[in-house]
Amino acid sequence: MGRYVIRRLLQFIPTVLGTMFLLHYMTSLAIQFSGNPVRALFGDRTPPPALLQAITERLGYSDPCLSQRGNPCFGLFIDRLQNIFLHFDFGVNLRQREVTDLVADAIPFTLKLLVIAIVFEAVVGIAAGVLAGLRGGSFVDYLVKISTVFIISVPIFVLGVVVREFVGVKFGNILRGQDWIPDLISVGVFTPGFKPDYPFASLLIPGMVLGAVSLATTARLTRTSIMENVRADYVRTAKAKGLTNKRVIGVHTLRNSLIPVITFLGVDIGSAMAGAVVTETIFNVPGIGRLVTMAARGGESSVVVGVVTMLVLVVLLANLLVDLLYAVLDPRIRYE
Amino acid sequence: MRGKFLKVAVAATATAMLATACSGGSDDNDSAGQAGGTLRVYASEPAFLTPSGGDDEPSLYVIRQLFRGLVKYNAETSAVEMDLAESVESDDQKLWTIKLKSGYVFDNGEPVNADAFIRSWNFAAYAPNAQNNGYFMKRIAGIKDVQSEDPDGDGPKKAPEPKAKELSGLKKVDDLTFTVELEEPFSGFPTTIGYPGFFPMAQACVDDIAACNEKPIGNGPYKMDGSWQHNVAINVVRSDSWKGEPGKPDRIEYRIFADVDAGYSAFQAGELDVMYTLPPARYKEAKAQYGDRMYELPGDSFTYVGMPLYQDDFKDKRIRQALSLSIDRQSIIDAVFDGRFTPATGFVAPTFEGAREGVCKYCTKDVEKAKQLLAEAGGWPAGKKLTLWANAGAGHDQWLQAVGDQIREALGIDYELKVNLQFPEYLDTADKKKFTGPFRLGWGPDYPFLETYLYPLYGTGAGSNNSLYTNPDFDALLKQGDSADSIQAALPFYQQAEDILGEDLPVIPMWFNKVGAVYSENVDQFVWNAVSDADYGAISLKQN
Repeated sequence: MGRYVIRRLLQFIPTVLGTMFLLHYMTSLAIQFSGNPVRALFGDRTPPPALLQAITERLGYSDPCLSQRGNPCFGLFIDRLQNIFLHFDFGVNLRQREVTDLVADAIPFTLKLLVIAIVFEAVVGIAAGVLAGLRGGSFVDYLVKISTVFIISVPIFVLGVVVREFVGVKFGNILRGQDWIPDLISVGVFTPGFKPDYPFASLLIPGMVLGAVSLATTARLTRTSIMENVRADYVRTAKAKGLTNKRVIGVHTLRNSLIPVITFLGVDIGSAMAGAVVTETIFNVPGIGRLVTMAARGGESSVVVGVVTMLVLVVLLANLLVDLLYAVLDPRIRYE
Repeated sequence: MRGKFLKVAVAATATAMLATACSGGSDDNDSAGQAGGTLRVYASEPAFLTPSGGDDEPSLYVIRQLFRGLVKYNAETSAVEMDLAESVESDDQKLWTIKLKSGYVFDNGEPVNADAFIRSWNFAAYAPNAQNNGYFMKRIAGIKDVQSEDPDGDGPKKAPEPKAKELSGLKKVDDLTFTVELEEPFSGFPTTIGYPGFFPMAQACVDDIAACNEKPIGNGPYKMDGSWQHNVAINVVRSDSWKGEPGKPDRIEYRIFADVDAGYSAFQAGELDVMYTLPPARYKEAKAQYGDRMYELPGDSFTYVGMPLYQDDFKDKRIRQALSLSIDRQSIIDAVFDGRFTPATGFVAPTFEGAREGVCKYCTKDVEKAKQLLAEAGGWPAGKKLTLWANAGAGHDQWLQAVGDQIREALGIDYELKVNLQFPEYLDTADKKKFTGPFRLGWGPDYPFLETYLYPLYGTGAGSNNSLYTNPDFDALLKQGDSADSIQAALPFYQQAEDILGEDLPVIPMWFNKVGAVYSENVDQFVWNAVSDADYGAISLKQN
């Protein structure tokens, strides 16, 4: 087990370096082909060359290789690696703020959002899947099947905007007109976006939207898995032994049925991060996703490289944890 | 509970209004709206909150409440009024003497004296400080010495240290008096210093600019309540140390949105009191829904189609006139922009003092005249396509295509669009004068003086003269205006200069924007300043 973990951790190194180089190369190419992003800060006003030069230098875009199209800028990449790994310096954005500060500001919001999304999709998804799986062909089964198809087929940016306009604004306005409903519900939860006054309540709906698509997949996965395992030999044996239904379902069936679901949820942390890019922009959540979107739009290479590298690490760690959880859930799996 | 509060507030104000009507409204406090309450406004993330750094709209909206400068602008007429300055005077329009009112202090107790201004302007101008508003110090004598020259003009790794640390044109006379020497005479100087780039900064702020950016040490009617919560909110409260006219709301909350649509939803949900801009796609809807709570007026942002005078095809002014005559601006505005612009008939925003209608005789559609002018000029080279340029990803291709279609229909000149360059590269192309055909660009004023629409864009050798237009008569008139005795005396010269542009058409004027803002039922009196836009400190809320 220990050796396995160490081997996996060592594999992180080439993965992270490779990702960083790709990001570095892509952002450098973007600058080489679309021009110095610092110039765009001034817009229609042509800045004096000395000032433009000074600001370009301050922001780290002055390397001459950034004006040679196609040049992979190895020198700049090495500098960047040194700054990041030796000095823990991720650079600054176009507004001269440290990338580490930006991330530190943004990460609590994204974490809260992710926790809400994952809990929502795990609890509701698994419950719906179990109910549907145990009674195949029943009303509940059809309800789950139809509603999940519906959710899966709506892209998240459509779902997000629809929920914001109809749940946050229209339905919320009706609630806000009723005096008997507490503020926490009418102003906090049913809001069109994140609110500093209700830092948790106002994230509930965005979190649910973020979790919705994966919730559908979770429910369907659980349903299929349960249906398969209910007919398995060991379940029949357990029933034949005279165990209570609760124990047969809860321990024997569910535990084995959840292995693919756990894998999915683990991998889903990564895709939820990607979904957060959309959800956070729609619901105005000042998290990592919104940060990356804005940075990519503005051509802030240091922010893109820094933040995406951190995201890659998160995904890698999440995957490692999922693999280790496997062994816990399924005694047949052992890591040497 | 807001719902309840609102109803009470509305009822209370209705009674209050009746009462005021009876008493004749002689009380000063009533006519100007009552003080108190929390104003919640839409904002996007500012770039910087220091006067030397913030040059974008969201920054300026905050800085203008935290800081105050030498002069301010009249909300309706945009005329210059003294704020912290007692007087701003000059005999030759080159050496300006500025006297300050006494008794003003920063939030940290430092006095707002001559040093505070000199310090701030020097800090902005010194190139290694990399402050965006260094651009605005360009008229002050000694600016070249604080900005290092690029030896080979090609961006070397390290620029040499500038020759001087301070602007030689700024001299302190006594604690409350200082002089400003300009490189060239400029009669409009008093209008420029109301821009936040010229606001004072405390010594403590310059010493630790990063900390000051997070929690600015201001000298204005409001001060920070807590630090800048990046991407979330900025809260300011009324400042006790401010000696001038106090702000109306007790507190202003700037809620920061990354997306204007999300902001509009928050407004609809009753979370915001003022939204100074609207999502373009919902402009019509907002107008229908909010009616008299929508504020609409002509803005000052100018869109033009520049003419590359450095290309042979565009050297003859009759060609440029013919192109301009074939465009029906209003039909494009209606079809593409839902009427959110005003067609330009001149080069200066209609809200500016000295602006006139119909300066450009070639800015309304007249196909016959266009054809005639084109024929006189010897026609367009046969088979050559007109290349229309715009930057990518900003929706300009749509209206530019309409322009191309109209030109093709009127003059039979085929066109192609070149709209694949991203903004930085597009601007670089403009700076390097590499456009091969008409190009889209815009302009916003730096100060409320019509010169801001003239010299920077069309003066010989001026920074943003992207057409490379040069006309000695035009330059001479600007010079006369610059050294006129007063702002009023300068206007006729600038107007004559604008007339020359109307004939020469170095650029084809397209349109000026319209400002659309909405405010909530909580707002009693909405105040929009002709120069500095929504004036949050002057907006009063309904009191109960």
